[in-house]
Amino acid sequence: MIEIEDVSQVFRTSGRQDHLALSGISLAIEDGAFVSILGPSGCGKSTLLYIVGGFVSPTAGLAKVKGKAVTGPGPDRGPVFQEFALFPWKSVLGNVMYGPRQQGVKPAEAEAQSRALIEMVGLKGFEHFYPKELSGGMKQRVALARTLAYHPAVLLMDEPFGALDAHTRTRLQNDLLNIWERDRKTVLFVTHSVDEAVFLSDKVVVMTRSPGRIKMVIDIDLPRPRRRSDLLLDPRYQKYVVDIERMIDDTSEEVLRP
Amino acid sequence: MMVGGMLVSRLAPLLACLGLLGIWQVGALTLNTESFPTALEALRAVPAILGDKESLINILASLRRMAIAFSVALVVAIPLGLMMGRNRFVASFFNPLLMITYPVPKAALMPIIMLWLGVGDIAKMLVIFLGVSLPVIYHSFQGAKAVEEKMLWSGAAMGLSAAQRMVWIVLPAALPEILTGCRTGIVLALITMVTSEMIARQSGAGNILFNSLDMGQYDIVYAMIIIIGALGIGLDAAFERLRRRLVRWSEPGFEIPLSFA
Repeated sequence: MIEIEDVSQVFRTSGRQDHLALSGISLAIEDGAFVSILGPSGCGKSTLLYIVGGFVSPTAGLAKVKGKAVTGPGPDRGPVFQEFALFPWKSVLGNVMYGPRQQGVKPAEAEAQSRALIEMVGLKGFEHFYPKELSGGMKQRVALARTLAYHPAVLLMDEPFGALDAHTRTRLQNDLLNIWERDRKTVLFVTHSVDEAVFLSDKVVVMTRSPGRIKMVIDIDLPRPRRRSDLLLDPRYQKYVVDIERMIDDTSEEVLRP
Repeated sequence: MMVGGMLVSRLAPLLACLGLLGIWQVGALTLNTESFPTALEALRAVPAILGDKESLINILASLRRMAIAFSVALVVAIPLGLMMGRNRFVASFFNPLLMITYPVPKAALMPIIMLWLGVGDIAKMLVIFLGVSLPVIYHSFQGAKAVEEKMLWSGAAMGLSAAQRMVWIVLPAALPEILTGCRTGIVLALITMVTSEMIARQSGAGNILFNSLDMGQYDIVYAMIIIIGALGIGLDAAFERLRRRLVRWSEPGFEIPLSFA
């Protein structure tokens, strides 16, 4: 269970007046849920994710994970960033083994687990490649495996597929869903793609721009396991996408409080 | 064709050296003054110097000072630079100091240093230390500053403490930049080594050079220049090999990225 309680974030800017990035955000996320945070760029959705991760401390309010207030980063919450943030001096295997080794797992065991994960994300045979030798999609697969390797209870995904081309993006979405179906970790997924949010999530949190507020939380009632080809033809899927897109376009000030 | 091209690019530095020596030889023969020996005369003096026990002790003493001062400089400068790059307070404290000292020729400080510390090893090593540390601090600083925040966050999520992140993430991530600074540092170490011995004449390679200049042994002077130059080229080349090995993961185009989702 992740609880976000009345979180606000003010960024001090030099010279000009302070920027209110997030205002009074409250949200509860059940264990094992796949929740997307959707909003235009600059709505503070990534900041919200960083607050849950403990990378940024909120100006007001707090985030709680399993009933404990977040005070800093920890291995129970594993981030996956749009920028991949791999360690370029480590091979694929070295990157994936990093977390388990840090957690004190014996080298042989960490290696075995990591090799299995690398195979799971479809990179068998690339264990000894360095990040710069890989394409964007492959890097993001490594980043996902690296985070899964230390068994976080929560995955924090910050526009993970934002830097990838459409084709690669689709493949990674499918693979992510397959992986998620297996162990049902709690996933907090930040995106600005309505499609992606509806396709992946149990719940979509729509945010407004500046200051970032929650406009609406929509339950996505679509059967799982989901297959992209089926969903695209499903009128319920189409309706979710259209409704949410309209909601985002509607920038008028009639903000619906949750 | 390819093989020929490779051969030419391999031989190019050698050809350039030979060309330079050729111009020197012709120039010296044309001018024909006592203070400008021919390349052959200077080269002939090289084995004589290297075979002389006294000279060898002097040169080794220089190298010893340089090695010690260079090592101490790295030990101090790399951590300091990295901390400056990651901590605003450390940076705002040391930055102005560096900005003031950076453009000052370190050899210009030699008279003052000699006044405090005498003309012995310590004074000379201090000058070398100062010469080496500044570029190394600067590059370590730049390298640490450029480390991606998200990489550090990833480490923090795995449970690395702030100190561990400094050693296990900031240091390797900044290594290519740090080593660029070290390479500049090696050359500066050699320069400050010779100048320190020029000012505080007591022992060393620079001492041989300037003493023989005073005594009008011009072939020795030029031979020493060749020896010191070769030393510089050798050290730089050796370091460059080491650097390439250490940061092969960061060299651009070391292999073409694969295209595969």
